[in-house]
Amino acid sequence: MSDVPVRPPPPPPPLPAGWTEHNAPSGHTYYFNKETKKSTYTRPVAAAAQPPPPTPLPPPPASLPARPPASLGAESGYSDYNDPTHQQLNAFDPKRQMEDLIFGGAQNLYSNRGQDHARGGLRGGFRGGHNNFADRPRQPRDRPKHRQDIPGCAPWVLVRTKLRRRFVWNKDTNESFWKFPPDVMKAVIEFDRVEREKKERRERGEPSDVEEDDAMAEIEAGLAQAEEDVEIVEVEGEEGMEDEEEYEEVEVTDDEGEEASHPPKRQRTEEPPTEQPPEDDDLAWQLAQMEEMEQMGGDHEQEEYFEEEPLSEDDCKALFKELLDDTNTNPYTPWDKVLEAGALYGDERYKALPNMKARKECFDEWARDKIQYLKEQKAKQQKLDPRIPYLALLDRYATPKLYWPEFRRKYKKEPELKDMKLPDKEKEKLYREHIKRIGMHSSELKSDLTALLKAQPLAALNHSSTLDTLPSSILIDLRYISLPPSSREPLIKTYISTLPAAPEGAAASAEEEAAVAKKREERRRRERALAEREKSVQEEKRQQERDLAYGKGRLREEEMEIERAMNVGKEGLRAHLGAE
Amino acid sequence: MPPVRTARASKKAPPEGFDDLEDTLLEFAAAMKDAENAPHDGKKKYEMVWPIFQITHQRSRYIYELYYEKEAISRQLYDWLLKNGYADAGLIAKWKKQGYEKLCCVRCIQTKETNFRSTCICRVPKEQLKEGQDIQCVNCGCRGCSSGD
Ligand SMILES: [Zn+2]
Ligand SMILES: [Zn+2]
Repeated sequence: MSDVPVRPPPPPPPLPAGWTEHNAPSGHTYYFNKETKKSTYTRPVAAAAQPPPPTPLPPPPASLPARPPASLGAESGYSDYNDPTHQQLNAFDPKRQMEDLIFGGAQNLYSNRGQDHARGGLRGGFRGGHNNFADRPRQPRDRPKHRQDIPGCAPWVLVRTKLRRRFVWNKDTNESFWKFPPDVMKAVIEFDRVEREKKERRERGEPSDVEEDDAMAEIEAGLAQAEEDVEIVEVEGEEGMEDEEEYEEVEVTDDEGEEASHPPKRQRTEEPPTEQPPEDDDLAWQLAQMEEMEQMGGDHEQEEYFEEEPLSEDDCKALFKELLDDTNTNPYTPWDKVLEAGALYGDERYKALPNMKARKECFDEWARDKIQYLKEQKAKQQKLDPRIPYLALLDRYATPKLYWPEFRRKYKKEPELKDMKLPDKEKEKLYREHIKRIGMHSSELKSDLTALLKAQPLAALNHSSTLDTLPSSILIDLRYISLPPSSREPLIKTYISTLPAAPEGAAASAEEEAAVAKKREERRRRERALAEREKSVQEEKRQQERDLAYGKGRLREEEMEIERAMNVGKEGLRAHLGAE
Repeated sequence: MPPVRTARASKKAPPEGFDDLEDTLLEFAAAMKDAENAPHDGKKKYEMVWPIFQITHQRSRYIYELYYEKEAISRQLYDWLLKNGYADAGLIAKWKKQGYEKLCCVRCIQTKETNFRSTCICRVPKEQLKEGQDIQCVNCGCRGCSSGD
């Protein structure tokens, strides 16, 4: 623990007139004003003589939870703290701000905890600056979910957050770090190993001894509680606190967004550092503060922690089905062959479903629906102009490299080429014409397409049209496919956006449009949520890898040290022998 | 071996919807041809027929699922496929019975030809097998087809 500074608290500022300090039976300090008969946990302060708020805890390194190479040691985390930009950012007091957020705006101007006087002499000069950001409401985006004592490493506690990140917290000094101090790290690695083994043993169904069962039950209970969205695990000895008369007047203002629905159980109290370990809402506070520092570190990925609804089973299925759609999977192909083709593996959505059985079931469901849909489409298409699918085929495959006979041979299996409703002569004519047009200058093609679009009546093409619902009069026109989709589609979209709404009688299509838009939005949400999930899995993995690498690094270092020590020993001995 | 669609055979063209299946069926046909012409490579004689049974099974399953589970093909097309040997009607008939949903081949449930007048080892449920017992029947190479899962 030598390299983690233990910081002495500063003397508390004097109380304003009328206020007295008391100790509650729970050990908390509270303040009572005999004039107003008001009590509060927050140390009151004389308005005029307001000293600047103290500096918060040393933050974790800006790029959380990145860990420097082992050789740099724990110190490096602080080195960039002297950077002027950091100091600038520290001009306001994030701690207070976070307290306000978490504890409903209580006036916690002073805190006895977590002062870094040992190292932060300079920083005092920056205190009490403008509270540039203090008024900006910001929710803590992460919060502690679960805490566990690290065995053999008291007083350190391992805290897991809602976003499955971990940090360590020292109960005694009330410090917390994303970057585990080396000896804590060792203990955590050992702890993880033991947990993993237990879990594996449990999965194998092997009996474990009673002690472990208890430990496991505790963990499970903790997790279960976390799932019920109970914010933090209760600590024994704190019950009944709310019943204390002295605490009645403590007000919680619930005007801060999400937190309002989960008002904290207690006001945060000011404690002298010699008191009992702080409570779990302190953990929330610690975390919030670390988050704050993290954000100040310049990494403004607001979206990253944007809380998506978790993926439901239906969402996962929908993601997988969209993957099947997007890869143009043939629903008539047997599942084994789809897998063999290998088009699915590379996509994140493949992993949306947990196992092969679920995937197969989902595929079957999808294929069934898709086939029904295709049947309907076919029935509709039969009434349609055969040129529409044929031109779509040309759009996909036609190339100046192939003469008509070659093209016909190469794609003879395509139903569009087999379709007898369109005579071969007509097909050939369209193909030759199309190839000729592809060679034209794109500006010419663009003006041709614009002319075609302009020729459409408003009833057929209007503001609610989409690329999927273009009128057939466009689809059978070669001018439509002359431009490649990449330049054609934006052009059409732009044109459509300039059009007025459909004339009377097109309401149904507008409704359809709304449905389509909704579908699109749903899809976007699912994909975001999947990315989110993937990210947190990756983050966890990276964290584990880093832990491992870090642990290994430490181990190597120690080995080298031992080796060095032994070398010296030998040489020393030899020198000693030589002397004799 | 189902008939290859030649000019003569196409006189009696398949019912509507065959096009959708054609690619997959051609793949099966190609795989079947390969299996039939595969070199011996020191394999036992009965092992040589296993791939053929397997492909027959897969292809029958394909058509069975398309008709019964996905409702993707018409009755006409289904009947036409059976009539033209694309699927084993006897095997499909068994799949519709409880306990035979995964049957590998009809030979494995025939008792007459076997030494002990019993069905094939592959019909024995997994939980009744000895721990770690690895089975493979002689008929079609099946590794167990009576399991309920
Ligand atoms: Zn079998
Ligand atoms: Zn068999």
